[in-house]
Amino acid sequence: MPSRRQFLGLAALAAVECGRPGDGGDNRTSVIILGFDGMDYELTKRMMAEGRLPNLSRLAAQGAFQPLGTSMPPQSPVAWSNFITGMDAGGHGIFDFIHRDPKTMVPFLSTSRAEPSEKKLKLGKYQVPLAPDKVELLRYGQPFWEPLEKRGIHTTIMRMPANFPPSGSARRELSGMGTPDILGTYGTFSYYTTDPFTWAGKDVAGGKVYNVGFNDGVAHGLLYGPPNPFLADAPQISAPFTVYVDPDLPVAKIVVGDEERVLKVGEWSDWVPVTLALVPTQKVNVIARFYLKAVRPDFGLYVTPLNLDPRHPAMPISTPGSFAGELASSTGLFYTQGMPEDTKAFNGHVFSEEDFDTQAQMAGGEVLRQYPYVLDRFRDGLLFYYFGNGDLVSHMMWRAMDSAHPAYKPTDAPFADAVKKVYERFDRVVGETLPRVDAGALLVVMSDHGFTSWRRAFHLNTWLEKEGYLAALDPTLKDDTGLFTNVDWSRTRAYAVGLNGLYINVAGRERDGTVDPGQREALATEIGEKLLQAVDPKTGRRAVTKVLRREEYRDRGHLDIGPDLVVGYAKGTRGSNESALGKLMPEVVTDNTEEWSGDHCMDPDTVPGILVTSRPLRKPAARLQDLAAAILAEFGVEGFPRR
Amino acid sequence: MILVNRALRAAFDRLLWPFHALPPIVGLVAVSLAVSIGMLYVFKWTSNQTKLEAVKRQIHACLFEIRLFRDDVPAILRAQAEILRHNSRYLALSLVPMLWMIVPLVFVIAQLQFHYGYRGLRPGEDFIVKVRLKEGWERSGAAASSQGSSRPAATLEAPAGVMVATPAVWMPAERELAWRLRAQEWGDYELKLRLGDEEYAKTAQVSAAVRRRSPVRLAGGLLNELLYPAEEPLPRDSPVASIALGYREDSISLFGWPAPWIVAFFALSVAFAFALRGRLGVTL
Repeated sequence: MPSRRQFLGLAALAAVECGRPGDGGDNRTSVIILGFDGMDYELTKRMMAEGRLPNLSRLAAQGAFQPLGTSMPPQSPVAWSNFITGMDAGGHGIFDFIHRDPKTMVPFLSTSRAEPSEKKLKLGKYQVPLAPDKVELLRYGQPFWEPLEKRGIHTTIMRMPANFPPSGSARRELSGMGTPDILGTYGTFSYYTTDPFTWAGKDVAGGKVYNVGFNDGVAHGLLYGPPNPFLADAPQISAPFTVYVDPDLPVAKIVVGDEERVLKVGEWSDWVPVTLALVPTQKVNVIARFYLKAVRPDFGLYVTPLNLDPRHPAMPISTPGSFAGELASSTGLFYTQGMPEDTKAFNGHVFSEEDFDTQAQMAGGEVLRQYPYVLDRFRDGLLFYYFGNGDLVSHMMWRAMDSAHPAYKPTDAPFADAVKKVYERFDRVVGETLPRVDAGALLVVMSDHGFTSWRRAFHLNTWLEKEGYLAALDPTLKDDTGLFTNVDWSRTRAYAVGLNGLYINVAGRERDGTVDPGQREALATEIGEKLLQAVDPKTGRRAVTKVLRREEYRDRGHLDIGPDLVVGYAKGTRGSNESALGKLMPEVVTDNTEEWSGDHCMDPDTVPGILVTSRPLRKPAARLQDLAAAILAEFGVEGFPRR
Repeated sequence: MILVNRALRAAFDRLLWPFHALPPIVGLVAVSLAVSIGMLYVFKWTSNQTKLEAVKRQIHACLFEIRLFRDDVPAILRAQAEILRHNSRYLALSLVPMLWMIVPLVFVIAQLQFHYGYRGLRPGEDFIVKVRLKEGWERSGAAASSQGSSRPAATLEAPAGVMVATPAVWMPAERELAWRLRAQEWGDYELKLRLGDEEYAKTAQVSAAVRRRSPVRLAGGLLNELLYPAEEPLPRDSPVASIALGYREDSISLFGWPAPWIVAFFALSVAFAFALRGRLGVTL
């Protein structure tokens, strides 16, 4: 029997052994990762030199600051999936925001899929779904936090993009980019107006405009939800609301169910709980914010996309399921849709610059407000916290910093600092976190890609048509409705879907394939070489500086999903929105005159992200997809990803 | 009625004061205990305890008969019919004490509703004040229309600590004015509604404590005064039908589940009554 002294000695030795990093992982290490979507390396460096990012500068001085190579293509879902899985698109299967189904040639959102239950019991006009609707994450590969959890290391993953529905493998998770609104879209706003002309016949992408009529100062409207799965004809479910406009003053009362709000013109409501009734015993809980834009001469009321109520979400958005509700109870209701900054309302001219700026700050403010709550509850292990505000504000406000941008207007000048102000807010977040660094935590500040001005739009499908790879049914058609409705598939050898993807029309793979599978690689190489020679007639410079054949991806598990060629446009040029959804335009390269004026879906070498760490990493990470392995190495976990 | 309500408000405010800073369930336990003791005595003094005991003994005898003759179906049916008859008798004997109890209970519940039914405002929280006018308000001298407009000449004044955030929305079809206000600091406040030359007050509480809260001040009238005793009624000749303040309804945590206070109150009162009936010598 050991003596008391021997026993204490053995206990001390056991304690030391337990704390030593090794195969089992170090479960006392603290790593905090702040993910600032779209934070550009050059702009960050410049602002640090100007002294506008003091906390990041302090962090860089004590640790390291470097550009972080992004993904090919450098789109957020692709880039974040690279980070999550440590693999490239060939491994995780996310090649673009949009993929296409080769059997139908219909584009679809790449990161998740919601499928309603097909088994239903019909009872007259009613039907009862016999199985729950299915929501499926389409990203493959093991998330990097999974090996940590397997070793008993707690992980908290907040709003990780391309992680909806949440993986379920982190201790606490909230889904981020890719989380839909109640309609299953990335966000569809509603605008109610009495203006009969401005919006007549116009299709506003990402929103719906409804005409309302007033009778004695009272108007009635409906907030629309998804189709009712309990009714055979599946009408859209809705919630009525009433607006009372004061006869003299710029103020109105909005009534939705039992909720009432009084707003002045220019004011936003808080989150209003809305109940969408399905059948007497079933309902869907959503939340919305109202923005009273005008009451005279025309009435204008903007309503945010109907977001899932985090207290009773209709789809899984957190792990555990109660975590979203806990956040809402402690820090207030919040946007649950993945990309809350309403760029569509701005692009569709429902929002002015001021409106967008206000809305983006509100959306970003919620994420900032939740951070201290999450940080306070983080003891050790891994905390990842995502901030998406920088990306979407940069998309919409970049031109305010670029007077040479085709869409620049003198009225943009007051917003020249909009992006920089977001960076300064991010810097304050770093400042809030620095005490944890002083207490021994490793702080990693990273972004998925950089940003630059998007001045020229490249219509890739039109280029393919001009080069003879794609044939139009009617080459003179002026108002192509898109979705390849003007494409003659029997004479088409290649087509483009998404912002960077180019596909060969392969016989047996595509619905109306024409190219022999044996010729696919040779044709892809030929097109790639020609693309590298494409010149923008306005600038006289190359429009494309990088082309990647899919065989060049290192990871190959899911190559079959992706395009045959990935196009890296020259800095300042990006694939056009029209081409992304199969529309043919008269010219190959045009000025980008949209409000969406900054971008990153170009040659990845021109838009690197940032990596700032509070101390040099044990395992260096030059590229985004190396970062997960480097983080795991800090916990003593090696061999990620397993290929 | 006004005097009764004044007395009850004062009494309940004092009785519940010791519990105002404690979790609501604590005060509710104490109130339920006191109410159940009080009701036991009311029941004892207003019921015929001897007859009640006899009826209960007869019911027990029938139950015993059912257990004893469980193979004899006609006997069981006969005993069940007897139970029904005795139960009816029991209910009849309980009717008088129930009627005696209902009256004080209505007053008690009405008072408790305004202490436990609504959550106080919090600093930073927005709320709405709605003023509804009576039909024919235009003819009222107190609500004279402002020149050239069909809207009432109404203003709402708030003391420091509460901010009036919007002008009033006038809804002619509803005869309603609505303002949005913002609570800024903890405290008890009195909002002042000026309507023409008349002035009306409305309480507003920015408080987390268990306190009497009045979500609506109504025009005088027996039913209004019975059901909304938390605040003095508006003068009967006033053009104002009601002044409402948007307190949120509150709930009580019952074993971790949110429940209306009245569910907790009845559950606790019944439990205390059954627990104490023997000690107080009451047959229920």
